[in-house]
Amino acid sequence: MKFKNSVITDEPVQGLSTFVVPTQVKDVITISGSMLGGMLFSNNNKISSLTSSMLDKGTRNKSKHEINNQLESIGAEISFISSNRHINFTAHCLKPDLDTVVQLIAEQLREAVFPEDELDILKKRIIANLEISKDDTKKQALVNFIREIYPEGHYNSRNTIDQAIKNIDVLKTDDLVSFHEKTFGLGSLKIAAAGDISNDLFSGLIKTHFDGWKDQTVKQLEQSVSSIERKQSSLNKNINDKTSTDIYIGQTVELSESSEDYLSLMMGIYILGGNFSARLMQTVRDEQGLTYGIGSTLAGCSYGINGHWHTWGTFAPDLVDKGIASTLEQIKKWYDNGISKEELDAKKTTINGLFKVSLDTTGGVIDKILTNAEKGREITYLDNYTKLISELDKNKVNEVINKYIDPDKFITSISGSIA
Amino acid sequence: MLQDTSTPVATFMVTYHVGSRNEAIGYTGSTHLLEHLMFKGSRNFNKEKGTAIWDELQSIGAQINATTWNDRTNYFEVVPSEHIEKAISIEADRMRFSFLRDEDRQPEMTVVRNEYERGENSPFDVLDKNVWATAYQAHPYHHSTIGWRSDIENVSTERLKEFYDLYYWPNNATVTIIGDFKKETTLSLIAKYFGEHEKSSHDIPRVYTEEPEQQGPRRVVVKRSGQSGITAVAHKSPPGLDNDTYALQVLGKILCDGKSSRLYQKIVDEGLATSLFMYDFPFKDNGLFITYAFLTPETDNQKVEEIILNEYSKVANEGVDQTEIMRAVAQIRATVAFSRDGSYAVASALNEAIAIGDWEFYTTFLDKIKLVTPSDIKRVASKYLIEDQSTTGWFIPKNSEK
Repeated sequence: MKFKNSVITDEPVQGLSTFVVPTQVKDVITISGSMLGGMLFSNNNKISSLTSSMLDKGTRNKSKHEINNQLESIGAEISFISSNRHINFTAHCLKPDLDTVVQLIAEQLREAVFPEDELDILKKRIIANLEISKDDTKKQALVNFIREIYPEGHYNSRNTIDQAIKNIDVLKTDDLVSFHEKTFGLGSLKIAAAGDISNDLFSGLIKTHFDGWKDQTVKQLEQSVSSIERKQSSLNKNINDKTSTDIYIGQTVELSESSEDYLSLMMGIYILGGNFSARLMQTVRDEQGLTYGIGSTLAGCSYGINGHWHTWGTFAPDLVDKGIASTLEQIKKWYDNGISKEELDAKKTTINGLFKVSLDTTGGVIDKILTNAEKGREITYLDNYTKLISELDKNKVNEVINKYIDPDKFITSISGSIA
Repeated sequence: MLQDTSTPVATFMVTYHVGSRNEAIGYTGSTHLLEHLMFKGSRNFNKEKGTAIWDELQSIGAQINATTWNDRTNYFEVVPSEHIEKAISIEADRMRFSFLRDEDRQPEMTVVRNEYERGENSPFDVLDKNVWATAYQAHPYHHSTIGWRSDIENVSTERLKEFYDLYYWPNNATVTIIGDFKKETTLSLIAKYFGEHEKSSHDIPRVYTEEPEQQGPRRVVVKRSGQSGITAVAHKSPPGLDNDTYALQVLGKILCDGKSSRLYQKIVDEGLATSLFMYDFPFKDNGLFITYAFLTPETDNQKVEEIILNEYSKVANEGVDQTEIMRAVAQIRATVAFSRDGSYAVASALNEAIAIGDWEFYTTFLDKIKLVTPSDIKRVASKYLIEDQSTTGWFIPKNSEK
């Protein structure tokens, strides 16, 4: 698939870009969209997520039951969620129901009314889910890890669960109405659709349902690239009655996706723990039998932000020490001796093959297109991606591993029954 | 075989007609443990030759894995179309020439044990296992696919080999190919690689254990560290190929699927639970029609149980209206269409129909769903959702934080 030839880009309404990919799948259409206004766009980061979650609770002309009935009577789904920077939405529907679904997306984005009684019920449910997550070993290990590597207030940092509960608890209807009024609108809105669809039809529907909407007042946030001091430390969180323990090991890296070193470091970390045939799964799982799953990844590097890398794994409580020692031994070997040309060649084929395989579904196609557009890249970047991977050089990969990783300054976060 | 050239990708899947229903005490979890060992090497694909299965397939960008469930085990590869021969050759080789060495079982046992331990971390997983173990006493659906911990730890390599030699034969397997492939070439490749295997010289053993009739309600309570409760209400449902399956699937949607479903409005919208879902997977033998409610912290298990049972009674006594059926059918129609988006999705859904004994269950499912009437719904609710066929499960949390 050549993206340049397959994706029809358009701007049916000023401030709203569309990306349409007709595929051979029958009857099915998948839609995904986003606009600026995520959790970083207010002091209380829960305003955005609560606002998104309230969009289906009623509009000026429809109650939540009418919205739900309309959608469910055609078997369609629409969901809204907030990420750090964006308000995102996804929808699935059958071909004859496209007009209904686009109309409902527009109506919920434009005319949500945030009823107070619905807000109270939703807050109660979200807080309950947050309380439940205190019992989740993976979530606890991750939150503690992220809070330890990033300073308070950093774009990639996270609330403690108790702080998140407080942030939800204080919010009132007026906060959401005001955020909606200020943030939602045309400007950065992007919508991708793939499946049994034509651009003419989709553009026409977008124009019908979004034309005349106000402009949003928010702009992309300034980037912060200040250096973060790294240190070695270990955090333990005990949760009773857990038979498996989650661990995170890693640190921040002074690099973002826009760095020329990014793909080389991503590849290096993929060779360490990107899939089953990577080093960590082959040794710590396959040879030593210490874990069901272990892997490593580079994260948080989008939009010019310096991110981090981490290894995540699970071990039985009595195998945690052995598991961590074995993991660190593999990381040290990787850091000291580097990767081989054979490993690099194999993983180039893997990543390029996975890229192709990920386009097997309409969701996979539009996910790539929308993420690419959100980052301000030309569609041709997707066509060049496999070439960029193929050109990676072994020496360069080893050089960036040594440049960005410091094995003496890892943060280790453990959560489970470890008291 | 189903051709679709929209993307240059194909899924190759082998479904073996063996699952955890073919196990018994002492070797529960063996089907799953064996599935893990099947990746450790075979005659032509192994580490010693530099042709390890994961390396061979992941180096071409394939998505590969295997899964085990009650009635079947499946192995699959989603590959760029030009590599389909690689997938076929590997699956054919390990069908009869898997190594299954004790030195591989030892470390893999602890891997599987950690998979079991990860599941045990989840209150839902623990409650679900307990509900099935209470509802089914004689039939092997009594134990979950992962098996009991002591069986995972102690089953011998010899027992696993016996299991392999009983069930891993071409006459106990079905191959599915979906996506962008050339039909004649692919059939030739299947004949070339799988053709070397004879059919088994023995009959594939059948499961003859039947669950005795349940003669009263059952109840199970799990108390463990946690933050909030879970209520489960389960009733025996018929085998997947029974005609009543379709009405029960529609009823499940009416009760629990979506924000306008009956129980969502009565439980989640009222703030009694954070979420709610039900399942009634069509299995080869009888299954369970289960509703799960994940309670908000101050909600009482009993209160939600009563709401669920009252709604079941209401359906059995008063039935449902045609509008609710139309909504449920629309949801199922859309779900079926979405489940055909991508070659893996098609193969995966077809695999479940193959597992229960009739691949046409997949192709005719929607047509039969459309025939369901209000009287069918009332009849199946009265027949299956009755107290004497019920198993109720409660998860009651103890505060876990120190």
